[in-house]
Formats: sequence, structure tokens, C-alpha cells
Amino acid sequence: MQAKAAVNQKTGNTLNNAFASNFAKSMFLSVTALAVLSFIGTRMFTHVDLNLYGYMVGTIVFLGGFFYRFIAWGERPPTKIILKKGLKLLFRKSTPKTSVEHLATYNFIWNRGIYRWTQHVLIGWGCILSCFVTFPLVFGWMYFTMDDNGYYNIIALGMQVMTVPADGIIANLSYNALNITAVMVIVGVCMALYRRLKNMQARAEQKFLYDFLPLYMLLLVSITGLALTFMNIFLHGAGQPAMSLIHQWSVIITLIYLPFGKLAHIPFRPMSVLARNYREHYAEQDMKECKVCGDQFVSSEQSQDVVDVLGVNDIQFKTKEGHHLAEMCLPCRRKYRIAQFSGFPTHEVKVKEANQNAKG
Amino acid sequence: MKKRLYLELENCIGCRSCLAACTQCGGHEERNRNYVYDVNPLVNRQTMPLMCLHCENPACARSCPAQAIQIHETGAVLSALVEKCIGCQNCTIACPYGIPKFDTEQNLMYKCDLCIDRTKDGIPPMCASVCPSNTLQWLTDEEIENKKKQFNLDNGKWVTSMPYLEGETNVKVNLPGILQGITKLY
Ligand code: HEM
Ligand code: SF4
Ligand code: SF4
Ligand code: SF4
Repeated sequence: MQAKAAVNQKTGNTLNNAFASNFAKSMFLSVTALAVLSFIGTRMFTHVDLNLYGYMVGTIVFLGGFFYRFIAWGERPPTKIILKKGLKLLFRKSTPKTSVEHLATYNFIWNRGIYRWTQHVLIGWGCILSCFVTFPLVFGWMYFTMDDNGYYNIIALGMQVMTVPADGIIANLSYNALNITAVMVIVGVCMALYRRLKNMQARAEQKFLYDFLPLYMLLLVSITGLALTFMNIFLHGAGQPAMSLIHQWSVIITLIYLPFGKLAHIPFRPMSVLARNYREHYAEQDMKECKVCGDQFVSSEQSQDVVDVLGVNDIQFKTKEGHHLAEMCLPCRRKYRIAQFSGFPTHEVKVKEANQNAKG
Repeated sequence: MKKRLYLELENCIGCRSCLAACTQCGGHEERNRNYVYDVNPLVNRQTMPLMCLHCENPACARSCPAQAIQIHETGAVLSALVEKCIGCQNCTIACPYGIPKFDTEQNLMYKCDLCIDRTKDGIPPMCASVCPSNTLQWLTDEEIENKKKQFNLDNGKWVTSMPYLEGETNVKVNLPGILQGITKLY
């Protein structure tokens, strides 16, 4: 937070001006779009389901928070650079592969540990699939019809996609889709909670609001959702209205919380694909050579971008040799500092740095 | 009582205990975040540790597009948040001392977090706890002030602080022995 505040301070008024108008513009467009969609969807507001009124208010508050956070964030100098240059490079050949690995299969989390990967696949995909099922159903983009012969038709956007036996696997999967995803989320969240309570690595700097609240919220949403099914099937709908309200309330709170806490990584994360493209593309263009040893250690573009971003923050880092510290590769930059401490030019001794990684 | 990490660089005997200790702090996933360098490797055995100095205006955090590097209320500049770091490596280019390390497999930056797991409760960081030569110490501002007086340098400068560093830092650095040409009693 401190970091953000200081950056905002530095860029001063221009940022605030842009912020106010961008925010107003995005908010206005979204609310208008929502209103138009609702108008059409509810056939000129003749079929408003007041049970879903809460979701509507929740969605609008969520949008407010979302734009507030995202516009402020997109205006930070380093973020702006990656967003702008990354979007231009969106259509690289490697984009589909990078996107799948970063956003769908989470290969990099696998490398952090199989437990962490399993946990995240269950939570992430549980949530994404739930949204894929819920939104089309709520907005009427998808529905089911039953033929006399015991077959079910799955209809998406008015087109008949599939006809399946009503007691077949696919039919059962679709009736139970939300129950399955709810169980996925519950298992994933329990794994995360267990890790947060037991694992010394995860426990080191966790906070209730940042690390536990989102987990409890996801748990509440999933459990109340499952409870609805349970009440329908086994209690013949007893207690359903009350549970439905609790479920609705938990979804709304989660939505409102989303742009501010840990869950904000969901909409932010696709930027990792932009960052990867940015690094790959400019590395092919031209590499920066270390001012001391000549090793190519980063693309010239990124090197210059970082120098510029630091400049915006009034950080210069000029050396007495006349270049910027960011123009030295990492080992040389470290040896250069030792040289400043000792007075002996360590960085000019042509010896590779000793191994700096201890085995824990 | 707020304490700081304080370094007396030339005390270093090159045992690399601090590297090993660093792997053991909570949240470190058994990877160390500090360095030990030979000052003049072909000539003598003098070594010096290189630590994150926890800058008051940290270049690493300023250059991070994902706001993954947070500043703790104690002033410690933390390691990247695991769900936020997008792997751009800006921070490694920006840091004036070349501190942040990057794991390409995990697409994640990691750096010294001043053992926040310990220091937030006033426990000394791992590296300072194990250092056998008093190179790394965990001291109050008052104690650091006394050190400053004790090493009454000719030029009146606290030689490895400003303007000799790139900016104000939360960690304080000193090299009293070398500059005064005295033999030290530990
Ligand atoms: C866009 C795709 C997504 C990416 C790239 C992504 C990435 C990540 C990463 C890298 C972590 C840190 C994991 C670790 O190192 O252990 C994380 C944690 C987490 N993610 Fe995601 N995520 C995505 C989508 C989602 C979705 C849809 C949800 C569902 C709400 C979600 C919920 C969580 C939660 C709750 C945690 C914290 C787990 C804990 O307490 O340790 N993520 N995510
Ligand atoms: S020394 Fe480098 S890594 Fe440490 S706070 Fe300063 S800029 Fe960041
Ligand atoms: S590598 Fe991670 S922590 Fe470093 S600047 Fe990029 S996003 Fe931030
Ligand atoms: S303070 Fe902690 S994290 Fe930083 S170098 Fe020392 S042991 Fe490692």
C-alpha cells in the first residue's frame, strides 16, 4: 500500500484527473450495458425476478470496486508499459501455449509443489466452471428441454447442441455440474486452509483479511450452494428460501471483496502472458550487454523501460563510470557494490562468482 | 524496542553460515536470499556479505507492474507475493545491488524479507542469529549510534551510508576497521 501511495504521489495531479474521468466513463458504459441487457432479458422489465435483485446491486457495487482498483493500477508507470507493449504483442505464435500454461494448467504452480497445484486446480477450475454454468442459466443463454422418449436436449443460445439420455452420464453430469464444482472448491479450500494452519512456509506472513477471508468466503458460497441442493432433494425444499438468501448474500460479499483482496489476482493474472510475450519479443530484437562483462542479460527494451520507470520515481542510479546501475548484469552489479564498500574493483577481476545458493 | 540489521562488513570470515541459515526461516522454502563475495579472489581471503538493504524508496517495488513487492509496516521490503508476481523480472533489473533472485521454473521472484516471520515479533533474523563474527548484528538505533561514535572516522562520515549508498536504507552498513586501519577486538 505504501508503495502505491508513493507512486500516486509522484505522478500527482495528471493521474488523478485521468483517474476520475476514466473511472466515470467505464462505470457509465458498464452500467448502461447492464441496464440494456436486463431490459432485453426481462422483456422490458416485465419479468424481473426480485429474488435476484441482490445480485444486481452486488454486481454494480462490484463493478465500481473493480474499475476503481484497475484504473488506479493500470496508471502505475511499470504496469502501463507492460500493458501497452504486451497488448501490441498479443498475437505472437507462442501466445496460445503460454496462455494455456499460465492460465489453465498452471504448470508453474506445479513446479512450486504438487500439493499447491492440486489445491489451486480444484479452487480455480471449480470457480471458473461454476461461473460457466451459472451465468448462462441465469441469463437464459442455456437451458434444457425433455423429449417424450426420455431424452434431454441441451440448448445453448437457441441452438440444440446435444441430445442425451435423461439417465445417462452426460445428463447426470449436467444436473450435477454445480454440485461437482462446489465439492471441488470445498476440497481445494480445505487443502489451502490445512496448508495455512500447518505448513511453516505458508504461515510465515499470512493475515486474516488477506489470506483467510477469501478462503472462508469461497467455503461459505460452496457450502450454502450445496445445502440448497440438499434441501431440494432430501427436505423437499424446507428452509430453501432462507438458505437461498444466505447463499446470495455470500456471493455478493465475495464479489464486492474480489477487486481488493487476494482474489484480485484472478483478473490481474492474464498480465503474466503479456509479460512473457514482452520478454520473448524484445529478447529476439536486441539484447543488452553488461557494461562490465559483456554478457547479454536482458532485452535492451526492458532495460531502458526499467531505467525510465525508475526515473519517473526520481531514482537515477548513475555510476561514476557514467552508466546506469541497471546496465550491469546481476553478478557484476553485486560485485560492483562490494567494490564500492571495499575500495577494490572486485567487478573487474575476471573470476566467476562463487556459488551463492546454499542447500537448505 | 525497534531493532535493525546492522552490518560490519570487514568482520566477515567467509563461513557462509548466513546463506545456510537464510534457507531455514519460515516462508523461505529452503532457498537463501543473500550473498557472500570474495573481495579480491585471486589475492586474499577477505569476504563480504551482500544483503538486501531494505531501501526506504525501494527500486524493486517501484518497478514491479503487479504490486507484488509489499512494504511491511516495520519497513521491511517483502519477497514477491506468490499469487501476484507475473514473472517480468523488472525488479531484478531495478535493484541497485542486484538482490532479487528469480526462479524461471516457478515463474516467481524471491528476495530477502528480513525474516519477517521472526523480525515482526522482535526476534533477530536468521543470518544475524548465526553469524559467528559479528558481521551481521541486530541492534537498536541507540546501539548503532554508539557504534558510530566508537568508530570516530576522520572524515566524519558513516562511510557506507549516504551519500555512499544509492538511497536511504533501513539496514545500516559500516566498515570501521579497514578505514581506520585499526585492529579490532570483537
Ligand atoms: C486466471 C487464472 C489464475 C491464475 C494464473 C492464478 C494464479 C494463482 C497463483 C500463482 C497462486 C499462488 C499459488 C501458490 O503459489 O501456492 C494463486 C492462489 C490462489 N488462487 Fe488463483 N489463479 C487463477 C484463478 C483463480 C480463480 C478463478 C480462483 C477462484 C476463486 C482462484 C483462487 C485462488 C486462491 C483462493 C488462492 C490462495 C490459496 C492459498 O490460500 O494459498 N484463482 N492463484
Ligand atoms: S536492496 Fe534491492 S531488493 Fe532490497 S529493497 Fe532495495 S531495491 Fe529492493
Ligand atoms: S518479477 Fe514479479 S516481483 Fe519482480 S517486478 Fe516482475 S512481477 Fe514484480
Ligand atoms: S534477513 Fe533473513 S531473509 Fe534476509 S538475508 Fe538474512 S536470513 Fe535471509
